[in-house]
Amino acid sequence: MLIEQSAYANRWRGVAPQAKGLFALGGVTAAFVAAATPAAGLGVAALLAAVTIGGARVSPLLYLRVAAPALFFLAISALSLAVSVDGGGLQATAAGTHQAAVVATRSLGALAALLFLVLTTPLSDLIALLRRLRTPEVLLDIMVLCYRTLFVFAAALQDMRAAQAARLGHLDRSRLLRSLGQMAAHLTLQVWQRSHALHLAALARNNDGPLRFLGSRHPHARRDAGLAGVAALALVLLAWSGR
Amino acid sequence: MHIMEGFLPIEHAVGWSVAAAPFVAWGIRSVNRRIRENPEQRMLLGVAAAFTFVLSALKLPSVTGSCSHPTGTGLGAVLFGPAAMAPIGAVVLLFQALLLAHGGLTTLGANIFSMAVVGPFAAYGIFALARRLKASLAVSVFLAASLADLLTYVTTSVQLAWAFPDPVGGFGASFLKFAGIFALTQIPLAISEGLLTVVICNALARFNPQELQDLGVAPAPEVRA
Repeated sequence: MLIEQSAYANRWRGVAPQAKGLFALGGVTAAFVAAATPAAGLGVAALLAAVTIGGARVSPLLYLRVAAPALFFLAISALSLAVSVDGGGLQATAAGTHQAAVVATRSLGALAALLFLVLTTPLSDLIALLRRLRTPEVLLDIMVLCYRTLFVFAAALQDMRAAQAARLGHLDRSRLLRSLGQMAAHLTLQVWQRSHALHLAALARNNDGPLRFLGSRHPHARRDAGLAGVAALALVLLAWSGR
Repeated sequence: MHIMEGFLPIEHAVGWSVAAAPFVAWGIRSVNRRIRENPEQRMLLGVAAAFTFVLSALKLPSVTGSCSHPTGTGLGAVLFGPAAMAPIGAVVLLFQALLLAHGGLTTLGANIFSMAVVGPFAAYGIFALARRLKASLAVSVFLAASLADLLTYVTTSVQLAWAFPDPVGGFGASFLKFAGIFALTQIPLAISEGLLTVVICNALARFNPQELQDLGVAPAPEVRA
């Protein structure tokens, strides 16, 4: 996963997650505030992308590859906003084009804010942040288990895929579908087997409550959060004045 | 189809989050009750969420030749029940936003409503109805998985059309526009996902009936003299 690579390897990996969360929140707010003027919205998006690439040293190519699926969705949705179906014919109205421009720039800004957060912060830090924000313990447990099991399943899937390919399981389309189905069926079975094994492992360690782990330490959390708060406020004010 | 970050106006984003929250809360309550009765299911939801996430990352050969990704909501609803799918789906959608940048945080509520509430409930209802009408397991599973996919995509189109009514034709024209554009990818996907889910269920029934029974997932077959 590309986002994981960048989240662990960027320059701001050690910055406190609450600081990065605060700045991303400011970015989303700025994108919504600036929305009325497409130019201002584009400015917010460009600024956030520049901070992510310049500040956190995320590779521009990786940034584009991560953003590509969302940009594809945006392109076709904005296109369908811009044109109106009128008596069997397609036409672009001024109101429709303006709406498409507003929505597209707002989405770009909000996407840039989301990308800033996820490309600089590993998921384990984000789960710790959600715990501080008092997310229900059941949901946090699901997240922790899901995050770990994700990679276990991905490895199992890769092994099965290699075995199937070695036995010509991907030869044509119908065989590919059958191989995929068998692979998913085996994986389905592992859901119960692995969760049972995890339950036994937890019982063996006297655990019957929430799953807690040591989080990473952030000695400058207060300073980071203060700086991020000022930056977020400045971004929102900039967006406000630019609209 | 996930609605991307920032696409919905703020009042719609908040509204859909408020609409989805009670389902997730109810799902969590019913899950907690199940865990109290059956403590060995404590780890099940997290693992099931990872399963749904990994399944939705599979590349599926689509009938039109392009590749698409299954949603896994139909299979999940039949295996784990629609109530459990709301919190599972919420976590899966959050992870897709955070790990793949599919969907988003402001649009999380709208996506949860279409993919983790409407889809699983539709799948479960259709599956139960088809079984009651004495349809075979394969037909019931196919209908449940593919119609759940279609209803999810119709819900997403309604959400988009409601947020952005057409300046000329209003809600109806806007709905037709969005539904028409996404039909190109979503209808082939629904058919492929239905077929895949049938193959999965057949493979489970053929190769692993004993394991499923031992795990308490499938009911024991009737003993006949």
